[in-house]
Amino acid sequence: MSYYNEYILVVEDDIKIRNYICYSLQTEGFRYITASTGQGALKTLVSEPIDLLLLDLGLPDIDGMEIIKKIREWSEMPIIVVSARDQDKEKAAALDLGADDYLTKPFSSTELLARIRVALRHFYKQGGNKTPAIIQVGGLRIDFEKRLVYLDDKELHVTPLEYKLLSLFFKNVGKVLTTKYILKEIWGIDYSSDTQVLRALMAGLRRKIEKNPAKPRYIVTEVGVGYRLVDE
Amino acid sequence: MGEINNNQAIDAGHQNRNRKDTLYCLFIMMILLISGTAIGFVFRTVEFPETNIVLVYLLAVLLTARMTHGYIFGFLACVIATGAFNFFFAEPYLAFSVEASNYIVTFVVMTITALITSTLTSYGKQKTIEANKREAETKALYSLTHRLSGAADMDDIASIAISTISDIMSTQAACLCFDEHGMPMSTFIQQVSSEKQIRRDYTDTPDIKCQIQKINTGYIKGVEFYDWPIYGSETILGIIRIPKERAETMNESQMRLLKTMIESIALAMDRYWSINHRIRTNEEIMRERYRGNLLRAISHDLRTPLSGIIGTAEMLMHMIQRNDTLYSLAEDIYKEALWLHSLVENILNLTRLQDGKLVISKDMEAVEEVVGSAVGHILRRYPEREIEVSVPDEFLMVPMDAKLIEQVLINLLENAVKHTLPEQEISVSVTEDKRNDCVVFTVADRGEGIDPVDLPNIFQMFYTSNLKHADSHYGIGLGLAICDAIIKAHGGSIVARNRTDGQGAMVIFKLPMEMNQNELL
Repeated sequence: MSYYNEYILVVEDDIKIRNYICYSLQTEGFRYITASTGQGALKTLVSEPIDLLLLDLGLPDIDGMEIIKKIREWSEMPIIVVSARDQDKEKAAALDLGADDYLTKPFSSTELLARIRVALRHFYKQGGNKTPAIIQVGGLRIDFEKRLVYLDDKELHVTPLEYKLLSLFFKNVGKVLTTKYILKEIWGIDYSSDTQVLRALMAGLRRKIEKNPAKPRYIVTEVGVGYRLVDE
Repeated sequence: MGEINNNQAIDAGHQNRNRKDTLYCLFIMMILLISGTAIGFVFRTVEFPETNIVLVYLLAVLLTARMTHGYIFGFLACVIATGAFNFFFAEPYLAFSVEASNYIVTFVVMTITALITSTLTSYGKQKTIEANKREAETKALYSLTHRLSGAADMDDIASIAISTISDIMSTQAACLCFDEHGMPMSTFIQQVSSEKQIRRDYTDTPDIKCQIQKINTGYIKGVEFYDWPIYGSETILGIIRIPKERAETMNESQMRLLKTMIESIALAMDRYWSINHRIRTNEEIMRERYRGNLLRAISHDLRTPLSGIIGTAEMLMHMIQRNDTLYSLAEDIYKEALWLHSLVENILNLTRLQDGKLVISKDMEAVEEVVGSAVGHILRRYPEREIEVSVPDEFLMVPMDAKLIEQVLINLLENAVKHTLPEQEISVSVTEDKRNDCVVFTVADRGEGIDPVDLPNIFQMFYTSNLKHADSHYGIGLGLAICDAIIKAHGGSIVARNRTDGQGAMVIFKLPMEMNQNELL
């Protein structure tokens, strides 16, 4: 009854949450294997063909950050970190280290599965080396060849910087992008200490694409972490 | 009884000493005069002029005045010397003659000299005695203060006090301490001998406090004791009790010494209580911290199983058909667990805030992003609700800890959701108050509003309206308490009130636009 071929490693030390995650994966038709410690996870990673990693940040033996660092030395596999609500700093750090997304406990299975799908899709897109020429999210459409943006089929005038920002989001639909990452991608340098310039750029862009910038439909803020282009 | 005998003995000793003294003075005077007379005879034999004999007598009188107490012996010596000179050395010899008026002059001069000398000597002696006495008092006071400074507790202070007072006054002083509420204790300590102190039940005066308030002489006359209150800086700290017999014979200077001693006892007692008070306050702080830690530890441990319960309940909901009655049961578990989880998160944040461990790290943040994120959070949790959001067209950056302000907005919105029906409007609006240089956030609803009785207490921790929702455990207290703590930590203000444009409640909080000077660093 498997709908997916992906093999997911669930690293979580709490048995109830592990069961819950496994159940959610099972109903969706994912194949999975579990580990309750960092050591066990690393062992499984080298012996099994893992496609995606669900990693709890609060493991008893190894710091989750270390695991991410180790994996990123040899693999680009999608990593989704699971954390408690007061671990915002760690979340952002994990993303900067190369994790693809994060989930905050408690999360719903819908949320979990959506994040997994986004991460997988994104991973395959990278492998398939070509981004489609046109991407549509809701009423917002970007044409990479013509370098044009449309909102509800009407052309939208954006500045070159806004276009750059928007295209970055469209290449990472559904994925959270950290402030640090965006700054680096748009301005090319490590601007991490000065996020105000990005905030201002984002505010300008939102006023063009959102009906109510404080109730965004497209680019939502993940406070303390970054932004995400929502595809729902 | 013992002390009465003792007192009599002291009096008897006094009289004895006086008599001996008088005899001694008389003896001295006689010796000096006889010696003077003897020398006079020697002078006459060798035929020295009479004046020399007068000078010898004058010397004898002078020495008498110097070596005896009081004026009386000097005067007496003067009279006797004049008589003796007249009798032995003035013609006719061995008889008194009043003819020679020139002897009158001798007599007057000798008398005046004797008087002046004795006056000066007595005065000098008096001074010495006074100085000695003062020195003794100073010593006693010093030793009292010194010993008191090493006292460990009230009993210690009392014990040192009475032993010193008993020593100086040669009596059996006692001390009754008052407790920290200013009430007399049930027992008092008395010095019964130089080595021994006993504890006695205090039964004499039940209304001692009233009596103390009425006194004007400085002490209370009791049956067995006279009681001197020890006045502290705020209350009465105790009483010093001097046995009645001794107290009645106390003179002015002893009274003064006692008062001074009581003052230094009061200082020591005051110091003891204030140290005690400080220790107690510290203990309380420690206890408070311990309680916070406990609360935090419990909350922390609750979080993980709660996540499990939430997940499991969600699993159940997926397994059960929506129209099944079991579905609503699973949904209830899910919702309650979700609520409990947010409570636990709030407790965690609150304990961290109160502990000063949750460091507020202010950054310039876009208001619309924080509001948007909080609203998005609520809409994800309550997809059936509508929330009106309005922010200024102008892009606003405000210094804040975005995560915490988001938490405030989430708490306020959650409250609004809880206290309104699904069709009732909830709104969030942000405006800039340029005049006061701050940004005003308003979360308003069209629910039943806040009971005016609750309004003053609404931001207190664990305050839950007990008038309404008596059956509901959804406390409003903690969520608002943490909002209050967060906003205050930001240097802002928060108020709750009912809407004036119809029914509903609103919570308004303001954040300053500018960072403080010290926050810029």
